[in-house]
Amino acid sequence: MIGVQEKKIIELPQRDLGKETIVQVDNLSVYYGDFQAVKQVSLPIEKNTITALIGPSGCGKSTFLRALNRMNDTIPSARSEGSIRYDGVPLLDAAIDVSALRKEMGMVFQKPNPFPKSIYENIVHGLRYHGIRKKSQLKTLVQESLEQAALWDEVSDRLDASALSLSGGQQQRLCIARTLALKPQVILFDEPTSALDPISTAKIEKLMLELKEHYTLIVVTHNMQQAARIADNTAFFYQGELVEYNATQELFNQPTEKRTAEYINGQFS
Amino acid sequence: MKSQITNRMATVLISVCAGLMALIMIALVGYIFYQGLGHVTWHFLTTVASTFQVGGGIKDQLWNSFYLLIVTMIFTTPLGIAGGIYLSEYAKPNRVTGFIRSCVEVLASLPSIVVGLFGMLVFVNTFHWGYSILSGAVALTIFNLPVIVRVTEDALRSVPVALKEASFGLGVGQWYTIKNVLLPAAFPGILTGIILSAGRVFGESAALLFTAGLTSPDLDFKNWSPFAFDSPLNPLRSAETLSVHIYSVNTVAIVKDAPQVAAASAAVLALFVLIFNLSARGLGAWIQKRMSGKS
Repeated sequence: MIGVQEKKIIELPQRDLGKETIVQVDNLSVYYGDFQAVKQVSLPIEKNTITALIGPSGCGKSTFLRALNRMNDTIPSARSEGSIRYDGVPLLDAAIDVSALRKEMGMVFQKPNPFPKSIYENIVHGLRYHGIRKKSQLKTLVQESLEQAALWDEVSDRLDASALSLSGGQQQRLCIARTLALKPQVILFDEPTSALDPISTAKIEKLMLELKEHYTLIVVTHNMQQAARIADNTAFFYQGELVEYNATQELFNQPTEKRTAEYINGQFS
Repeated sequence: MKSQITNRMATVLISVCAGLMALIMIALVGYIFYQGLGHVTWHFLTTVASTFQVGGGIKDQLWNSFYLLIVTMIFTTPLGIAGGIYLSEYAKPNRVTGFIRSCVEVLASLPSIVVGLFGMLVFVNTFHWGYSILSGAVALTIFNLPVIVRVTEDALRSVPVALKEASFGLGVGQWYTIKNVLLPAAFPGILTGIILSAGRVFGESAALLFTAGLTSPDLDFKNWSPFAFDSPLNPLRSAETLSVHIYSVNTVAIVKDAPQVAAASAAVLALFVLIFNLSARGLGAWIQKRMSGKS
């Protein structure tokens, strides 16, 4: 699917959480120069679930997320070690087509970052690059993705308007639509609601719950309530280490690690 | 209390400095216009310069200035933008890049007379291009290139990283991202820089004295073949521009109305440079407003 064909049979994750694993991370370490931001993290990501990554600022959760679609490649001093397998394909392999990988694993960022172009252009930008040029096809995909992102009704009559004329919450849903248009398998969210008001946040959360029917979602969040509301599984990161990973309910109700309990109870943040 | 006094003093000082600057600007431009505009008529703009008789104009010089500007911009803009893209997007932060960047800075601070003399030695003499539009344009390119490289690099760097990441996050490649996201976002800044540098090129004289020359043939505005020696388009003919004309009229002219011709030429030159600057600001602001969709 992504550049390199891998015939090796994937080993099942040590901890079987019940569903099919789509991404398997083993002993992942990420360095910025000499600083190790992520330390030997292993975890399986289940298909068609929402996985939340929580932890205090600087705990490595965003770095971990950006390692998955190789966004850290854009930082010259960053390097990753260990293994990430997506559908059996080793993603850290040098031969991986990063462009195809990022199409498969879309990303939504912390601050809504639409291009300073029209709503329509925002969505077709990626499509055109990936070879879809036919107008009718583009139009269909634009409508489909906007519908999926629950934005179509609000913008269908003004696709030519600038994306910057939308509200913050609408901009973020446009960014989600832009990602959905490429028909990814996994969508990575890097604190997608931290710049939004509560009503917009609620809309995005509702949308994410709908999306998990068809996609696998991984969400970095600063907001523990958010993780508790939407995530099936939650991973707690602290100082670059994965402290605990479990079904969300378990993790919040019966944390096995002391640090997890302290963080959840608000003893540090 | 003390900090309030300090604050007020600083404010006054800064206001005085700013006011002084505006005053100098207004006084200078005002003086040039006051001295020269009275003599600027349609006749003056559309008559050829005269060596012996009163009543000469600046038709050919005006044409030469614009022609040279256009040729220079055709050379500089693509090269400069390409250089700026390279430095901002492709160059890795290492010694070679640092060296290239210092080269650009040194080039930008070269006195223009040095560029002119270099142009004479290399283009006029060694390459046998003679005193010509081509020699002048290449000399001006050396003079102007670093400015455009710098402007492009700065404009690209000031595009928010979030936009670049958004595009990369969609799996879009680097060149496609530069072409379709970064350059459009940086466009107002680049355009403003290009127009401002055009004003500088338009008013440049020292770099042209020994490259484009102090004279021009009597131009035949009915002959547009670039190969005819008296064609306005011929790139290998000598070409006295407006600012060089001001210099030569002030130093060597023997016509009686030389002071008026010089003053009027200066007024026309200042007027065009002013138009360049104002349009750069206006256009930049207008595009910015349109792109952010708040029109």
